[in-house]
Amino acid sequence: MKRKSLTLCVLALLAVITISLPFLVSGFWVRQFTEIFMYAILASALNIIAGYTGYTAFGNMVFFGMGAYTVAILMTKANFPFAVAFVCAGGISVIAAVLLGMLLLRLKGQYFALGTTGAMLAVRQIVDIWSDLTGGTQGISVPRLPGTPYFANAFFYFFMLALLVVTVLFVSRLHKNRLGYAFKAIRANEEAANVMGINTTKYKIIAWSLSAFFTGLTGAVYAYWFSYIESKTVFDVLWVTNMFVMIIVGGMGTVLGPVVGAFLLQTVSRYFWSRYMTLHLGILGTIIIFAVLCIPNGILRVRWKGITGFLFEKFLAVKNAGAEKENR
Amino acid sequence: MIIQAAINGIFFGAVYAMIGIGFSLVWGVMGIVNLAHGSFIMIGAYISFTLFAAYGLDPFASIPLVMIILFALAYCIQRFLINKVVRGPSFITLTFTFGLQILIANLCLLVWRADYRSVKLSYSSAQLVESGVITIPLVRFGIFAAAILLTILFYLFMRKTRTGIAINATALNYEGARTVGVDVNNIYAITFAVSAALAGAAGALMLPITSMNPFFGGDIINKAFVISVLGGLGSTVGALVGGMTLSLAETLGTVFLPSAAQELIGFVFFVAVLVFRPQGLLGKRFY
Repeated sequence: MKRKSLTLCVLALLAVITISLPFLVSGFWVRQFTEIFMYAILASALNIIAGYTGYTAFGNMVFFGMGAYTVAILMTKANFPFAVAFVCAGGISVIAAVLLGMLLLRLKGQYFALGTTGAMLAVRQIVDIWSDLTGGTQGISVPRLPGTPYFANAFFYFFMLALLVVTVLFVSRLHKNRLGYAFKAIRANEEAANVMGINTTKYKIIAWSLSAFFTGLTGAVYAYWFSYIESKTVFDVLWVTNMFVMIIVGGMGTVLGPVVGAFLLQTVSRYFWSRYMTLHLGILGTIIIFAVLCIPNGILRVRWKGITGFLFEKFLAVKNAGAEKENR
Repeated sequence: MIIQAAINGIFFGAVYAMIGIGFSLVWGVMGIVNLAHGSFIMIGAYISFTLFAAYGLDPFASIPLVMIILFALAYCIQRFLINKVVRGPSFITLTFTFGLQILIANLCLLVWRADYRSVKLSYSSAQLVESGVITIPLVRFGIFAAAILLTILFYLFMRKTRTGIAINATALNYEGARTVGVDVNNIYAITFAVSAALAGAAGALMLPITSMNPFFGGDIINKAFVISVLGGLGSTVGALVGGMTLSLAETLGTVFLPSAAQELIGFVFFVAVLVFRPQGLLGKRFY
């Protein structure tokens, strides 16, 4: 009972801070936080297929790019309003995930990772070739959000925040419902799951479609937010790797792990990027190497001691207790 | 035109085969898709470049030294870093080797700058065969011969030496190899080192006909995927076939297709082989 009220207090505090933040800090920081939220959504979405279901979707950015290009094309060529294009982006990502999933989800481990990467690079080439529609390698401009820059910053901040909250709430349901149990059964032992009567092919496709849905929607917001996209940024392997690092740092298959990981990695990465421009990638590489070596199970599963240990145990690890038990 | 393209394709295919052999060796033995493999090619080329620029050492002559340096470097990387995560799930090793790749790319950028580096040999315009129909430049033939020689040496190493047999044994059965007294950590490190040494030699061989830049390592890795998936994992002959196929497809493709379409077909073909024939075109999986 006491723990529950404490959790509620922390949640309320977090809500107050995140909601009041754009009115307190400068536009630069609002954009930084929007970016962190974006990475957190992408990492959480990847967590559904990679963390819960155990399929290393190394080409998951394919849906991000598809979502972004859907918005860009529909808004410029067909004059659709953003809201409609946004919904279409989610739909197209799901359709793509179902089709690609039927083909690729029969692969396992590294083969699946490479297959999805190959699919992503193939889609990127199609985008580059089909320049009448997509602008090719030149990229494509998206109409800007009307209004002042101040309004735009706040708009995208809250949009990303809302999407993040929806994603995290959805993922947290996976700890309790049948769908989540099916995913985790596939991760634990796919053949056994099959024998137990779980239609593994169906659930794997559902898992990837859900992951694709949130990734595609994020891509859609990204396109409208940046108002310019090009194929080499929206289909970038480096982004996927970053997301994997965020999940690894935070904790694979936990609800808040990807969010914590996104926050940590993005903050550290920004810090070094602004200070040591030429060394940025090298430092990021070093961080990746040591994150994987030192905390392969995630920061949420490290046994913390002292006051930080108390905070982690009390607030963050509460929801992850289930995942921790099962991973042993 | 087509005959000439085919000859160039086969000659360069031998270098691709070397890249594919090392990449699929690590994948087959340890289950690691080494995203840093391209970086080893790049380091090899840069070392060879420095030796040429500073001491006038011929790239062909620098190959042994390049291989020794990369062997030592990769042995340490595997022994002290990757061995700690090698039994982990696929995303761990993928992420790890990607981190390694961007770290190496950044270090190369600092040391050798972003300029395109290439070497101009005194005999670079000499022709081995010159007739109305085809020409075979001496350099390209030398590259081909060296690559084939190294491939044969690698094949003999894997079949005839105790270390090579131990690598095969570890690939077949990790627990079994440990039980009969194979020092698996050491064998893993040697496997990784041999793979990197071959990659370094490939880099040195590519230097006389291509130019090198710090982004090269990330670009060429896609080709290593294709070669090893086409050839099937861990087979030397398979990697030769995969390397030749890719190289021929590329050189013949430039005759018929624009380069963007060519890459698209390459990726679609790659995914198709992966889905329908994951054991490779030749049909054998692992050793």
